[in-house]
Amino acid sequence: MEKIDKIVFGDNQFFGINHMSQEKAQQLSEKFFDTENIYKVYDLAFNNGIEAVMLNSNDRAKEICDYFRENKKQYGHLSWYPSIPYPHKYANMVNEKGIFPAINDVLFSNNSALGILGMVAKGGMAVLSKDAIEMMKMLVDVEVKMYKGLNVKVVFLQNIIVDLLLGYDIKDVFYEYCTYIRKKYNALPGLITQNMPYLKAKLEEWGIEEVVICSSINKIGYLMSPDIQTYLDAIEKNDPNKYQLMAMSTLASGAIRASDAYNFINSLNLQSVVFGASSERNIKETVSLIKLRD
Amino acid sequence: MIRLGIIGMGRMGITHYSIINSHPEVEIIAVADTSKITLDLLKKYVPNLQVFKDYKELIDTAKPDALIVCTPPNLHFEVCIYAFQNNIHVFVEKPFTSNVKHAEELKQKFESKGLVNQVGYVNRFNDVFMTVKKYVESGLIGEIIRFKSEMFSCTVSKKEESESWRSFRENGGGAVYEIAAHAIDLVDYIIGPPDQIVGTSMNQIFSKHVEDIVSSTFLYKNGCSGTLYVNWCDTSYRKPSNKLELFGSKGKILADQHGLKVFLNADDVVTGYKKGWNTVYITDIFTPVKFYVRGNEFTRQLYHFADTILGQEKGDICTFTDGYNAQNIMHQLFEDAKINSLKA
Repeated sequence: MEKIDKIVFGDNQFFGINHMSQEKAQQLSEKFFDTENIYKVYDLAFNNGIEAVMLNSNDRAKEICDYFRENKKQYGHLSWYPSIPYPHKYANMVNEKGIFPAINDVLFSNNSALGILGMVAKGGMAVLSKDAIEMMKMLVDVEVKMYKGLNVKVVFLQNIIVDLLLGYDIKDVFYEYCTYIRKKYNALPGLITQNMPYLKAKLEEWGIEEVVICSSINKIGYLMSPDIQTYLDAIEKNDPNKYQLMAMSTLASGAIRASDAYNFINSLNLQSVVFGASSERNIKETVSLIKLRD
Repeated sequence: MIRLGIIGMGRMGITHYSIINSHPEVEIIAVADTSKITLDLLKKYVPNLQVFKDYKELIDTAKPDALIVCTPPNLHFEVCIYAFQNNIHVFVEKPFTSNVKHAEELKQKFESKGLVNQVGYVNRFNDVFMTVKKYVESGLIGEIIRFKSEMFSCTVSKKEESESWRSFRENGGGAVYEIAAHAIDLVDYIIGPPDQIVGTSMNQIFSKHVEDIVSSTFLYKNGCSGTLYVNWCDTSYRKPSNKLELFGSKGKILADQHGLKVFLNADDVVTGYKKGWNTVYITDIFTPVKFYVRGNEFTRQLYHFADTILGQEKGDICTFTDGYNAQNIMHQLFEDAKINSLKA
């Protein structure tokens, strides 16, 4: 399995996401309303040695992808780690119409998304609805489209989807997702989860390997189900040739001091860390603190 | 082992399935839904699951011990009654019903038989609001004099294109039933049901038949009073957020799903909080759950239901009585709003 970047620059700070403070989230959201300010922070990250970016397929990501594609000379060396889908887009559509009408809208109402001819040939929603796998592949295509032409290393499925599906205990969906990402996008399949030990055990049971698993990992056990000890055991026993583990929420939304947080992270058998920051001071400090074991 | 059925596989049914399927003592044996697509898919990918188009058929054929009911709210009553007749424990989504008389009847019936009964007011299982409840009951901020319960979401952000059950109040649609219900339940949970409701007003922005905004004033015989303000067209909010402000004789509390701030007029020995502001983050007070899908509170509420059936929990959090209380308050809001319209 191709090795992933040890440090990946995340995007929550740009899009008003802060799990601890709504107020902080609002402030950042204002600051990054102007996309130019986002590019400035990216440059700070790149100037400090970061070469990998995780970016959720939200409604502003397309513009960001366009920018980096257009400036390939300067940014062509970067690796991209898309995370799909943007859950809130679907949440509101599903609220309004129900799940299948919402999917129908995403796939068919927006002709430009995939090209209407392909859809008609495949028989439209009526046929698709009997085949969740085919539907999943088409939804993946809609979401991944905006990253085309960028050097995509891992395509992550968001935790809300991964953990929802995990509860259903259906091997096929995970197997097909991972296979599809490898074949169609020549990238590593990634799964984001808040139940890492359970997901990893399931993947092992199902014989699905060479997957990147991204999960919250921090010394206070925040967003780590079922508990921190089960995480530590799973991490220690992990074979990185089978599953590369990426840590997110390492500061637990700011509850842990950076030095403490990364002392803990550095002591574990982890392959990568994704973090977000918006000031040069924090970016510099974090990059200098992350010293993964291998 | 609890043999469980789920009636209604919309957004909440789908989520609840995933969560409760992780409980070691629960086996999901059957689901019912009117959508053939949903049933076909489940049948295809979950081999031993029985699927039904009709909830009665599910109850008659699969004979579950317990049900999770996530149909449109106007159907909750008949499904619950049929479950009651068949001695089945029930978890039902909020709002409990779309009619206060139905809520009262269900409450009495389920209590009379000792069947486990729970309504999906999920904030009662949120780490922050559980902590606020504990603090208020311990008298940390003294007697509550005034409160504010607010909720904001961007659930409806444009004119309705098509109509569904959500478009009509009779079916359980509208900002009061769908969103304000949570803000109202928080008041009932932490302060208790009001003795009188006055000054209710509602606005429409995008919805054709139901309200998008509601505000009201709650009065209590002990002199406490509070305001409710809920808006489900507020696009400045990325996800639904509850905000609660409690002003008491010894201090005040500000809380949302992610944290709380306590202001005290004097040091408190028990909590260790100092005079002045004290900030408590979710990271200070969370307790992890065994399986996470949509937030700890969603797992905790369903495990509470299952564990109550198993005799491991008391089952006193968010019962049908609590569901009735919220329903009764919502009924009063609608009645009060009618008499508060602008005089021509």
